[in-house]
Amino acid sequence: MSRIVVTGIGIISAIGDSTEKNRNALKNSFCGISSIDLFETKYAKLLPFGEIKIDNNTFRQLLNISSAGVTRTSMLAQHAFEQAIQDSNLTKEELATEDTALINGNTVGGMCLTDELYNDANKHSTDSPYVTSYDLGSVTIYLQELYNIQGVCNTINTACSSSANAIMYGARLLKQGKAKRAVVGGVDSLAKFTINGFNALHILSSQPCQPFDQNRTGLNLGEAAAFLVLEREEDCIDKKKYAVLSGYSNANDAFHASSLSDTGEGPYNAMKEALKIAHLNPSDISFINTHGTGTENNDLVEGTAMKRIFDQVPPFASSKSNTGHTLGAAGAIEAVYSILSIHHQELYPSLHFEHEIEDLKLRPLQAYIQCPVQHVMSNSFGFAGNCSSLIFSAL
Amino acid sequence: MFYIHTSSCISAQKAFIDPTETTLTESVDNKLYALDIHYDMIPPNVLRRLGKAVKMGIATGIQVVSNKPVDGIVIGTANGGLEDCIKFLNQIIEFEEGRLTPTNFVQSTTNAIAGQISIMTANKGYNITHVHRELAFENALIDVEMLLQENPANNYLVGGVDEISEYNHTINTLAGYYKQEAISNKEVLESASQGSIAGEGAAMFVVNNTKEHAKAVVQAIKTIHSTDIHTIKKIAKDFLKEHLPAAESIDLVLLGQNGDSRLNSYYESFFNTLPANTHIGYYKHLTGEFSTATAIALWLATNLFSSNRLNELMKISTSHTPTNILLYNTSKGNQHSLILISKV
Repeated sequence: MSRIVVTGIGIISAIGDSTEKNRNALKNSFCGISSIDLFETKYAKLLPFGEIKIDNNTFRQLLNISSAGVTRTSMLAQHAFEQAIQDSNLTKEELATEDTALINGNTVGGMCLTDELYNDANKHSTDSPYVTSYDLGSVTIYLQELYNIQGVCNTINTACSSSANAIMYGARLLKQGKAKRAVVGGVDSLAKFTINGFNALHILSSQPCQPFDQNRTGLNLGEAAAFLVLEREEDCIDKKKYAVLSGYSNANDAFHASSLSDTGEGPYNAMKEALKIAHLNPSDISFINTHGTGTENNDLVEGTAMKRIFDQVPPFASSKSNTGHTLGAAGAIEAVYSILSIHHQELYPSLHFEHEIEDLKLRPLQAYIQCPVQHVMSNSFGFAGNCSSLIFSAL
Repeated sequence: MFYIHTSSCISAQKAFIDPTETTLTESVDNKLYALDIHYDMIPPNVLRRLGKAVKMGIATGIQVVSNKPVDGIVIGTANGGLEDCIKFLNQIIEFEEGRLTPTNFVQSTTNAIAGQISIMTANKGYNITHVHRELAFENALIDVEMLLQENPANNYLVGGVDEISEYNHTINTLAGYYKQEAISNKEVLESASQGSIAGEGAAMFVVNNTKEHAKAVVQAIKTIHSTDIHTIKKIAKDFLKEHLPAAESIDLVLLGQNGDSRLNSYYESFFNTLPANTHIGYYKHLTGEFSTATAIALWLATNLFSSNRLNELMKISTSHTPTNILLYNTSKGNQHSLILISKV
């Protein structure tokens, strides 16, 4: 079976608008969690968020957007998408064929325009440029039309594991010959809608989040986009390659709409299945980029499931302590971080950790280190029990 | 290629599921609401909190998996529980981001349907929600086609569901997708104006690689992203050349024509690529327009192999049982799909 390799990456998050800036921020323990400056919400100064400090007008100029109706979510996606295709040296001709697939994970779509949507949906407006930009598919369709992509195009929503599933779907299309190259990833922008939703669930922390800490008080929402270019190894012999996507999985926890089971059935099955697909033993894993949201429920359950799988839990961290939880983008940006760890043979630390969770006795990595990194596992778990794990390996 | 074994459907038409019913249910205010039935398997305390898309999805899903456990759940829905979404949105604005209850928020996420089915059936397998607008259900089909290549002995639940919500009705009206004038679904296909009428529904299938006792075989699925008629015609021709068994022909095409005059040229030119003796059937005057209406079209096609009792409602001008049915759909002119389904 052909190996699926990563030939391009693109990313924007609260810790940088390029791959290099994200890497430097991770190396230097930079935290991108702050107050909200760019849009109005009651919680702008009350709670911390991973906001990208580039306003929409600047994005429109940077990305050369003239048409109305392009949402922030679409702009973040375009920014990361264009970096990824340039990094992989994909031509416009290659993109505009039936051989190119585009798979995007997304949970917010154009609902970042919460107030505009309220007006349009309640008949308070008559002429809105956004009426075809609210749904989740709108972001993918925007990119598809911009580059005239003709292969399989898809949008996936499995909540916080959406873009992990987008990466997996793209890899499976390649393995089955349904595409020759797949641009895969995800995006979400901060929205009043999700801020109020997560706040109503009482899982937003008033402090920068502390993944795997005994005294953790919840997550910080963030915004980001990341895309990878995936190809079959034999189709890109002469191209630069970052890593192999060696394992992936999708399992359901089948327990509760918005929390994970105590024993972590979904996370356990996701990690186990990804190892099986990758033909690896747990002891082969060099590092885990955990889901690690900083909520009471997630970190305890994820740690419990990790202890069930690994006799000795490998070094792990949560980059959500740098970026916040970027929902539909989380699986994709953390895939980029996992790939960077392999490409540069280095591990990035978790921030704000102080005390081990008593029932777990697990400590995330707290300092940047250079060391051999062969296989990195990246976990993403979402509402509705949607659990996925990816494994990236050195070439 | 994979086989359909069991199927279920909730739509506006009682005739779809009741063999004694032969009349067409008429639209009200340009909307065809799905019948509110078959929710017996959902506990009343749960049912009360569920939006219509989630209810329809659970009911059709559980109906087909109750006797046959599956290895995964693959749902296509463009919008999921949108009515809950707008309820939560309205709370945010009207209570100025005050104290809100999370129920509507949790229900409004599009993956809630697949999630609820997994919880209610204790299914810990593959679970995914495809939301790519008018190709959400088609991507669900492509997904199960791949899953059955990867895991040939498995069974999967695959389905499509979407609801009419005030939200999408208003937004889609603003976008010009629904007719301005009052019109009955009986006349909608002959309409010369722009836009369609709103619909909703759900259809679910248990699929696997076993030919024995199968109701139908899905030969191939193709999605097209173009507004150019020539491109679409070329892709359709290549699709049939590749997937239609040699010496066989399409004897029935189910068109997703929805009464929007802007789309007529697509449907006419597409039909003209087929042999002149190909019969036509329609369904959107029965279901209304919604993003995953092709799920109901696939359910109808599956049933046409064993019975011709819906032929008149579907405007099919033959009582001959078809062997190969082609589904062609476009709802807005930029996303198109082809599904080839055959008698086993």
